Amino acid sequence: MASNEWGYVGAAYALTWIVLFLLLARVLGAVRRAKAEYESAVKGGYNA
Amino acid sequence: MSPVTANTFDAPKAGRWPLFGWLSFAFFAFAQVYAVATSPADQMMGHLQKMMYVHVPAAWVTFVAFGIVLWTSVLFLWKEDERHDLMAAAAAEIGAVFCGLTLILGMIWGRPTWGVWWSWDARLTSTLVLFLIFVGYLALRSFVEDAQRRGQWSAAVGILGAINVPIVWMSVKWWRTLHQLQSDPRSLSGEYALGLVLNALAFLFLMIFFIRRRYEAARYERAAEHASQAAALGGYNG
Amino acid sequence: MAFNDDIRRIRAIVWKDLTTERRSKAGFNAVAALGVTILVLFGFALGPDAQALRDAAAGVLWLAVLFAGVLAFNRSYQVELDGGALEVLLLYPGARWAIFAGKLIANLIFVLAMLVIVVAVGIVLFQVVIPAQWPSLIGIMLLGVIGLVSLGTFYAAMSSRSRAREVLLPLLLYPMLIPVLLASMEATKAFLTGDIMNAVGAWVQMLALFDVIFLVATFWAFESVIEV
Repeated sequence: MASNEWGYVGAAYALTWIVLFLLLARVLGAVRRAKAEYESAVKGGYNA
Repeated sequence: MSPVTANTFDAPKAGRWPLFGWLSFAFFAFAQVYAVATSPADQMMGHLQKMMYVHVPAAWVTFVAFGIVLWTSVLFLWKEDERHDLMAAAAAEIGAVFCGLTLILGMIWGRPTWGVWWSWDARLTSTLVLFLIFVGYLALRSFVEDAQRRGQWSAAVGILGAINVPIVWMSVKWWRTLHQLQSDPRSLSGEYALGLVLNALAFLFLMIFFIRRRYEAARYERAAEHASQAAALGGYNG
Repeated sequence: MAFNDDIRRIRAIVWKDLTTERRSKAGFNAVAALGVTILVLFGFALGPDAQALRDAAAGVLWLAVLFAGVLAFNRSYQVELDGGALEVLLLYPGARWAIFAGKLIANLIFVLAMLVIVVAVGIVLFQVVIPAQWPSLIGIMLLGVIGLVSLGTFYAAMSSRSRAREVLLPLLLYPMLIPVLLASMEATKAFLTGDIMNAVGAWVQMLALFDVIFLVATFWAFESVIEV
């Protein structure tokens, strides 16, 4: 058994939280970008 | 053969999903704290057992996500509704992230337990192959521009990949049994079960939230393409 | 009879592909030479100890066939695409699976011909002791190549018509080939090094099962891949 088991446990939990928050930022960013793109496309349509 | 129907490209609605996201993250935080606080040190693994609450749910959620890819791919080939294709893409992207997380968490767990970062056992190897199939699936999507083509090709790749994973598992298991038997020390006693179930649910909620929002983004992208096409063809409201 | 028509279509496509290959020859010679080159490189990685070479021979032979064979799969569609012939081929009446069957058989013959050269050179370079039951080994190789070629022909139908086809085909194909390759390598290895574990039978059965599964799956999925 490893003596520094808390180190491994801490690394695992930290990694999980970091990955989940990065994923959250990425997904929400994708939604925001796509929504802006859609709205400008619709607006461009009305102008034309 | 028929082109993807056009009436599916109205803009999606966020609805109550942002609220669902907040609740999912809150529940996730609660499940993590609960599991870590209540689980006693395991006789065999000590505090390393606590890694089960992130590794095992991540693995389960990965397979659920790939199940969604398989299911929506079949639906797309059957019904030819582009929404199924976009849902498959969203599930594949989120599933790939959870699959990578599962693999790295497994390595962090394997190093102090087995003394090695990697072992060629059936479960690890088939999870790695699943990850590679996810990567290939997403690469194929990014290399094909035509929507109809991308949808049908990636559906075929998704379905064949899903067929392949249990076959890999079977063949690697047989390969391992011939060379040497490796017992898997993961077993579950009652006092750890509730924490695991809570975390599994929390991961499931997060996955549903991520896939739904990613799908929303994909719908917006397609809707934008159609709006600009319609504008180019002479007025959006015409 | 509709089925006889399909057989004729398959034969026509096989004949067409093999004729193109025979007239140019450059493709086959280059691919076979590449297979041999890969063997030489593996020899440097593993040698010069004779026993180490012998132990690794089965795996190396299959990898050499795989790496060289991958080039053949994209080529088989690339030749069509360059001439704009694939669209015409799809316009002809008749079942689409006949196109897949024709391409599959043509690729099978191509890869088997390459396999003969690679195996012959491999036996010499890796100092393989040919076992007494060598005819069974031919059966194993045939089963392995069928699995390899069915998946390769299927995935090349997509990758050859997309951007970045050189990287896309291996990326999609190699993970899918793991069961087939593992079973082929282990069965071959058990044959070459003496079947201590008595495992050849089980591996051959698995290999045959994988071939059937992947043949059915690729024939079914080809329809929705080739029509767009």
